[in-house]
Amino acid sequence: MESSKAKIFSPAIKTVILMIVVTGVAYPILVMIAGQSVLPEQSNGSLVDVDGKIIGSKLLAQEFTSPKFFHSRAASESASGVDPHITKDSALSQIQGISDATGIPINHLTTIVELDIAQNNAANWLAFSPEYANVLKLNLELVKQYPEIYSEFLNAGGK
Amino acid sequence: MEVSVTYVDLIQLLVVLLGSLSLAVIFGKYLARMIIYEKRPLEKTLGRVENEFYKLIGIDKYQQMTWRQYFLALVVTNFIAACFLFGVLVFQDLLPLSPKSGLSLDLAFHTAASFVTNTDIQHYVGDKQLSIFSQMVGLTFMMFVAPATGISAAFAFIRGFIRKDFGLGNFYVDFIRVIITFLLPVAFVSAILLMVLGVPQTLESSITVQTLEGAPQTITMGPIASLESIKEFGSNGGGFFGSNSAHPFENPNGLSNIFEIILMLSIPFSFPIAYAHLLGKGRGVSILVVMITGFGILLIVGLLTQSGPAGLETRFGSFGSVLFNISSIATNTGAANSALIGMSPDAIISLLVAMFIQAIPGADGTGMMTMIVYVVLTLFIVGLMVGKTPEFMSMKINSRDIKLAVFVFLIHPAIILIPTVIAYTNGDAQQLLGSTTPMTFTQVLYEYTSSASNNGSDYLGASADTPFWNLSTALVVIVGRYVPLGLMLAIAGSFTIKDRKEVVEPIRTQGPVFTSVLLIMTFLLTVLTFFPFLIMGPFSI
Repeated sequence: MESSKAKIFSPAIKTVILMIVVTGVAYPILVMIAGQSVLPEQSNGSLVDVDGKIIGSKLLAQEFTSPKFFHSRAASESASGVDPHITKDSALSQIQGISDATGIPINHLTTIVELDIAQNNAANWLAFSPEYANVLKLNLELVKQYPEIYSEFLNAGGK
Repeated sequence: MEVSVTYVDLIQLLVVLLGSLSLAVIFGKYLARMIIYEKRPLEKTLGRVENEFYKLIGIDKYQQMTWRQYFLALVVTNFIAACFLFGVLVFQDLLPLSPKSGLSLDLAFHTAASFVTNTDIQHYVGDKQLSIFSQMVGLTFMMFVAPATGISAAFAFIRGFIRKDFGLGNFYVDFIRVIITFLLPVAFVSAILLMVLGVPQTLESSITVQTLEGAPQTITMGPIASLESIKEFGSNGGGFFGSNSAHPFENPNGLSNIFEIILMLSIPFSFPIAYAHLLGKGRGVSILVVMITGFGILLIVGLLTQSGPAGLETRFGSFGSVLFNISSIATNTGAANSALIGMSPDAIISLLVAMFIQAIPGADGTGMMTMIVYVVLTLFIVGLMVGKTPEFMSMKINSRDIKLAVFVFLIHPAIILIPTVIAYTNGDAQQLLGSTTPMTFTQVLYEYTSSASNNGSDYLGASADTPFWNLSTALVVIVGRYVPLGLMLAIAGSFTIKDRKEVVEPIRTQGPVFTSVLLIMTFLLTVLTFFPFLIMGPFSI
């Protein structure tokens, strides 16, 4: 009886231990080594910086309260609650307000939105996603193009 | 609301079908070679590596198992793996890599049962409650064990039909070969591709940054790419994040969305192609056609009304979300790239029907096995109608085979409907969801359907982290996995010793007529069983 039990359990236990080492440890570590050495940007969360200071990930929404910025949709309206993406209509509908708050001409803002949408379209090979704008990327573009208007945010964080 | 499917949507669908079927042609041939131990590409190297594993484990690779031995080895291996995961989750506070407090015993039991059975229902929020160690050594490991178990069982099952006394194989040999020479290399390459598209892979659990407006933001990360690739490829579906494939780190853009859909569909579509190599081209192609047509019907039903935009991710849109979710639920992966609440009632009907059927195309391995059970049932019913003794692959189907097949079929409604009724009579459903409406009834029905079919998608999520829901759904996932697997292996055990007559099949198991009958039977049998409950649930929303 003892030996037949051992006969059943011994290969099963050894199989499990080996697979833990191979699939639970070696595999993710190897993927990490490959990622960190060849694709460091993506592997670390596609972080974006302004003047060398990391301000977030371009894949994640962040809260914008200032009327000078584009805003994401409310967290409860999406599934993840952290996606920075809005439709073209939503982006264009915010332009008037931003223009009023900053004095940036509407056609400049429209261009920024359309350029971002075009970039996203290209990144998705035109066919694999509907048109969308990335709120964080739009706002980064604003900060980059109009540093004097957005100087209060550039100096945030005691830089 | 008006539904518009644009030409861009059709391109997505076409790429998904072409991509998954191209992979299925390659993988199908490879699986067929593994099933009958034929030479694979790089056979010498692969064989040497495998032999080292067999030596370490101490098994004789030539030793054949009976269906009982095969099933026992499968259950024991799964049990030990589940005990390991249970321990990791309970004691994760003592383990390295961003320790978090251990899960409660009932939640850990539910999670271990859910992941070992290829279900991956999650009554926890991964990014908040699990350590990097648990996600990596606990869950990623289990995401190889679960599909390898299903694929191995399907290998043994198919061997039962090949020729008399071919043998069902050796569980450990199949299990190790499937992981080392199939799942692992594909998962590795897929993980790299996912990283190219933006999925992170780091041992850092989180970083805190100051946003553009100066507010602190904590960004949760981890070894996501290595989990994500096997999550989709292995029909697992358990997300790194609570919001699963809706989270931008699991599914950053339209390309990753399409790639993940292709990964989910590729193994389930490979099996009919392997079957075509081994048991006749016509038979395999017929089953593939039934699977693809059935999948198409689900998609059409799911697109009848517009889903979203609330509850959906803007970057996927309505079509990209419905396509992902139907692919995921039809393959019993159970991942979701939107909230289920964002899906239209028609889409929910489609998802439920997919889980009732479990075979269009179904999960890795078990989808094919379930489809063959439908073939046997169809032959029996058609045989009764035309007055011929039912035969399959020139073998007589006897009454025991039919009883086993019927039992496989009936266990499914039993373990969905009985627990649903108990949840309502006990008051646990009302306690969790408030007053009973078609919507809340749908959520309860969905929870047990997803558990019984080892799917993993659900409405309830972490809100169902109570002893009643954890224990009841854990029991359902265990019965829903191992009882049908045991019964189906018993059917294979019965067929492998049968005499084959070299005569024309009385009812051909290929060609357009059989394909149509099988497709109709598959939908008819399941829809008839569940129709009253669909009426009470999603039809009334």
